[in-house]
Amino acid sequence: MHNVDLNQLASLINKNVSGANATVNAAPDAKLDSSVSVEASHIYKVAEWLRSNTELPFNALQAISGVDYLDYMDVCYVLAHFDVDHPRELILKVRVTDRVEPKVDSIMKVYPAADWQEREVYDMFGIKFNNHKDLRRILCPDDWQGWPLRKDYVAQKFYNGMEVYPDNKMNFEDRDFIVRQAMIKKAQETKAQ
Amino acid sequence: MQDGVVLTTVDDFLNWGRKNSLWPMTFGLACCAIEMMATGAAKYDLERFGCGAFMATPRRADMMIVAGTVTLKMATRVKTLYEQMAEPKYVISMGSCANKGGPYWQHGYHVLNGVDEVVPVDVYVPGCPPRPESLIEGVMTLQKKIANERLLRNKWVKHA
Repeated sequence: MHNVDLNQLASLINKNVSGANATVNAAPDAKLDSSVSVEASHIYKVAEWLRSNTELPFNALQAISGVDYLDYMDVCYVLAHFDVDHPRELILKVRVTDRVEPKVDSIMKVYPAADWQEREVYDMFGIKFNNHKDLRRILCPDDWQGWPLRKDYVAQKFYNGMEVYPDNKMNFEDRDFIVRQAMIKKAQETKAQ
Repeated sequence: MQDGVVLTTVDDFLNWGRKNSLWPMTFGLACCAIEMMATGAAKYDLERFGCGAFMATPRRADMMIVAGTVTLKMATRVKTLYEQMAEPKYVISMGSCANKGGPYWQHGYHVLNGVDEVVPVDVYVPGCPPRPESLIEGVMTLQKKIANERLLRNKWVKHA
């Protein structure tokens, strides 16, 4: 992303971590950020190498986020190297195809900052992190049902006897208006094609 | 002798005492709490109305200012805190979120649509967040409400 030659980094990862299958996702626009994808099964080894190597080390994990693309889900790691002379940043992505029981190895042992970040991704997307020592929901209540940031999420009707969307307080027409407009627009677009 | 006698009704006397010593609970949920703190601080000085003594426990408080977004996770706690307060007790719902869910009203799966779903509310203060003047107006409205209470018809006495 910043101050990193991603092609060089990808080849270094492939050389040092066998089977990582690192590929560069080049951004279509210079304003956007390019990233590196690796195999989900090798994320722990890749993270270990990224932190401990001497050629292009990354000494900090800034954030972990999830993205739902309906067919698959991505887990994005934003890594950084805090160094006065060579500061750099990297977006590392892994792809999870299983939506029923998505699993990724935890990188908590390499980057302790991953602890709460992984819990948040678990809370919002239901992606389980193997070998995470304390994988609980972090924002939603422990007994909450479903994974809120998934695209196909439908909120539960009741929680602890409280109605989530009370009929007498909602304006469903207004709420669904935007959704309906989007559907109409999409239908018109497909018709035009 | 004449100088030492004041005539009043029991109702008026009790209401006068109650309305001028409303002790709120130290309890803020979101950004409205910042405005509540500003109201309590020197410039707006809630103490002028007898309600600057923010109590750190619900047992000593008379009034709960629900200042901020009530999430479903927090709603059960809000209810517990309300139940822990000694009667008579009053609730001011401060800000759009506590009133009706605010910006989370239509799409926020995690926000309670109005704190009145779990606790009875006496005064609603609109705003996002309300300025300190609005909260003071809310407090004064509550004081007017308390001034007109009748002890024997009081909901607390009736159900005691």
